[in-house]
Amino acid sequence: METQHAKPNYIGVFAALAILTAAEVAVTYLPVPRLPILIPLSVTKAILVVLFYMHLKYDRRLFSGLFLIGVFGGLAVILSFILLFAPPLLDAVR
Amino acid sequence: MSDIAAQHEIEPTSLGVDNRKLAIWTFIASEVMFFTGLIVTYMVMRGRSVSGPYPADVLSVPVVAVNTFVLLASSFTMVTALSAIQQGDVGRMRRFLVATAVLGLIFLSGQAYEFTSLGLDGASLSGNLFGATFFTLTGFHGMHVFVGVIWIAFVLARAFRGGVTQDNHLAVELVGLYWHFVDIVWIIIFTVVYLLRM
Repeated sequence: METQHAKPNYIGVFAALAILTAAEVAVTYLPVPRLPILIPLSVTKAILVVLFYMHLKYDRRLFSGLFLIGVFGGLAVILSFILLFAPPLLDAVR
Repeated sequence: MSDIAAQHEIEPTSLGVDNRKLAIWTFIASEVMFFTGLIVTYMVMRGRSVSGPYPADVLSVPVVAVNTFVLLASSFTMVTALSAIQQGDVGRMRRFLVATAVLGLIFLSGQAYEFTSLGLDGASLSGNLFGATFFTLTGFHGMHVFVGVIWIAFVLARAFRGGVTQDNHLAVELVGLYWHFVDIVWIIIFTVVYLLRM
């Protein structure tokens, strides 16, 4: 069994990544809270690279599952560290 | 050029996928956890240095922002190289692989400049908690970029010998997956270390 799909717009993805990066840098010069803006922008960039450049959107679900295992493992590490060392991180967020 | 991308064939393996591709994705999953540990260690140790220099004193966004654009561009050239060989254009693949390697070296040069600058400001791996966590995190990332450049060189050598074709280009796909992952890690590092000041 073979599957085909349209070629992603790699130039469009690169343009989006460049614009999002420029926006992130611009945010640091503005008097706005950084965390709620920069984290979604950063995650969006990562998702664009994973889905289109790494081809995960069009590839076998097995690879998505493997990648997500790593992501959830990483989230577990983050959660563990925050629970263990929460106070400094909370101070930084405030 | 065709707008149809690669076809995903069923391989004669138990899972129906190429073992090498399965291996690289498993490796990437492990690397996600590896870098997550380093990044969150930097985050929780932030603000705990007893002595300076402190991040606000030495970290500069402009130079590193340019370096970030360089690495993003290298991801574009890498995926373009893969797309080229999927369409059977070996010459275009070679050119964009060279461009990817060159951009990777430019990124490493930028990192060397950044590390030197920080060193002159008194930051070091053993100086304080900031130095230890920052240089461990960015140093490991830099090593991954360096390994990626070496890997691209090997694939290029094979390509110039005629070993990479439209029907046999998994080598380009595998190094591409690794390279894009290294880019993703930098996207997170740039945001957490330089922009968020976490």
